[in-house]
Amino acid sequence: MDTSIYLVGLNHRTADVDIRERFALTNHCSGETWCIPVTETIRENIILSTCNRVEVLAVGREGTKEEILSAWAKAREESKELLSSCTYAYTGEEAIRHLFLVASSLDSMVVGEPQILGQLKKAYKQASSAKKTGPILNRLLHKAFSVAKRVRTETAVASSAVSISYAAVELAKRIFGDMGKHRAMLIGAGEMAELAAKHLLSAGIRNLYVANRTFSRAEALADEFGGKAIPFEQIFEHLSSVDIIITSTGSTEPIIRAKNITGVLHERKNTPMFFIDIAVPRDVDPDVNGIDNVYLYDIDDLQEIVEDNLTNRQDEAKKARNIVQEEVEYYNRWLKSLEIQPTIVALLKQHEDMAMAELEYTSKHLNLDEEQMAALRVMLSSLVNKLDHAPLMYLKGENNHKEQLERIATIRHVFGLPS
Amino acid sequence: MQDLLSSPILSHSLSLFLILACYLVATVTGLTALSARMPRLLLSSCVLALFAFLFQTMTLILGYHKTFGDGLSGGAYLQLFAWFIMLAAVLLWFKLRKPAAMALSSPLCAALFAMSIPYMQQSIRLPDSLNYSFYMLHMGTLFAALALMAVACLVSMLFLILERSIKRKERVKGFLEDIPALSALDTVNGFCILASFPLYTVGILTGILSAKPVFGTSFSGDPKEIVSILIWLVLAFIFHSRIARAWSGKKPAIAMICVFLLSLFSLFVVNTLMQSHHTFH
Repeated sequence: MDTSIYLVGLNHRTADVDIRERFALTNHCSGETWCIPVTETIRENIILSTCNRVEVLAVGREGTKEEILSAWAKAREESKELLSSCTYAYTGEEAIRHLFLVASSLDSMVVGEPQILGQLKKAYKQASSAKKTGPILNRLLHKAFSVAKRVRTETAVASSAVSISYAAVELAKRIFGDMGKHRAMLIGAGEMAELAAKHLLSAGIRNLYVANRTFSRAEALADEFGGKAIPFEQIFEHLSSVDIIITSTGSTEPIIRAKNITGVLHERKNTPMFFIDIAVPRDVDPDVNGIDNVYLYDIDDLQEIVEDNLTNRQDEAKKARNIVQEEVEYYNRWLKSLEIQPTIVALLKQHEDMAMAELEYTSKHLNLDEEQMAALRVMLSSLVNKLDHAPLMYLKGENNHKEQLERIATIRHVFGLPS
Repeated sequence: MQDLLSSPILSHSLSLFLILACYLVATVTGLTALSARMPRLLLSSCVLALFAFLFQTMTLILGYHKTFGDGLSGGAYLQLFAWFIMLAAVLLWFKLRKPAAMALSSPLCAALFAMSIPYMQQSIRLPDSLNYSFYMLHMGTLFAALALMAVACLVSMLFLILERSIKRKERVKGFLEDIPALSALDTVNGFCILASFPLYTVGILTGILSAKPVFGTSFSGDPKEIVSILIWLVLAFIFHSRIARAWSGKKPAIAMICVFLLSLFSLFVVNTLMQSHHTFH
């Protein structure tokens, strides 16, 4: 077999956003717009185009990389030289490893982010619908999905929050569990606070109050999130009915102090409250955290969690890379078995044919009945298998790819099989 | 131990050792799985504890605990207590979908079974004047209340550990990542408080009512009676605070741990080391 797996691509490390935009293939990877044709050289291919990476995975002969780059540059009407200067290319085992790392989100800008697997699945679906995939890529992609699943199950690479807003929501879940039964209040309108509110809503919060010194701004935000705007002066009246409070005002003095909360907590029958203070200077007096059933996290606390989680993800990524390596070896073994398969079949067929021809010739001089002929056929087949055992073991030897190709050539030469 | 094995109650001994072995293995595997965060091992530990529980249920149905004609052995009471604890843990497992309750209850059940062995041959004969049904109501309600207190103690400990981590802004890691949210733990604790107090009250009342015909007086100053009333008073205070003063979170958690520790003192110290109507000797 003279084909191999190729991966040509660019990502956030090799190309800045301007280049990534110029070479994006988002509109060139579906149906008739497919930009990498299946040719004599490129047998199968898949295009993955996201905001952080554009990659073409292909099965092909020598020259595949050049054909991919030409077709890609042509599709984007850009210079092939520019494209070549910012792309990386992997072949064989390296390409498989890179794909598994991408699928497992180990090559992402934020290690462990969950989107990439969905994007890869979508890319595979599009390639499959456009009939650009074949047995090798089908198997490879399914393997990549299972590797990603294994990495997520066996390591904690994606288990902790790595953004401040998401870390806040994770903490809220640790306190309240099911978010659907709880209410939140957004005080002020910083970008990060809005992001936290969005995460809370996607985590299941149904009721959101929005308070801002500029009421029209509060109304606009409330409309955006499907919440209810309240005048800034009325926040204390509503505190008793909300469980999560996100503050992000420009106030230079704390707007919520411990003395404000004691009475509120009594009204709430001591049900827990969680304050997320994203403002600098802080909006909530740190003493609030000292009250029973009240939890307060400010921007520094959340930042510390995020940094801790990022470090943890890097540690887990090491474990994940070992899993990827293990899986690359499994896949390679399967791929090698494909390479030796035609030689095995040809060798067995040649010897079987020889044995049966000799039997036919000899049986003409003997008066053998059908039962005796059948017994001789079985005996000869068994003999052929035994004689071929040593060469087959030699073919299946556990060595590198180059040695395997040499072994295939040797067997074909020794037994006179066509190359 | 040799006496026990050579006695006519061999099948009972074997079942006891089998249940004890299951709880011990479930304890080791459960605690390992929780600390190393190995979900499959944790599930295996729970299945083992569930097997021990079902096996004990079968032995109870078959009447293996009735080793003496005139009453139960002291050990049988401890084993019944273990059964109630595991029943509560099984219910908690199915309610919260968190198997950690089983893994954390196994050590207590294993300890109760191990402690029951020396008392297996000591029959606690019931006085003739005691009505059997009334006595079963007394024991059943008290054991159910104690099992709920055990669960409350367990979830309270988890609550305090998790709450401390969140309050101190420490990273929640290890098995804490797998336990339910603070609110869920507080809800379970609240349920245990609300359910255990009426049950314990019925248990105490039936005890007082049955004491009169047996001992000639409703309250004889017996250490068990004093400790039980003390537990009831603390439990009544927690029950009242939960309902009337909306106690939630840390305070009821600490209080329920104290109540359960007091109950363990009552069971393991008063019943074994002190001269009492309830002694296992």
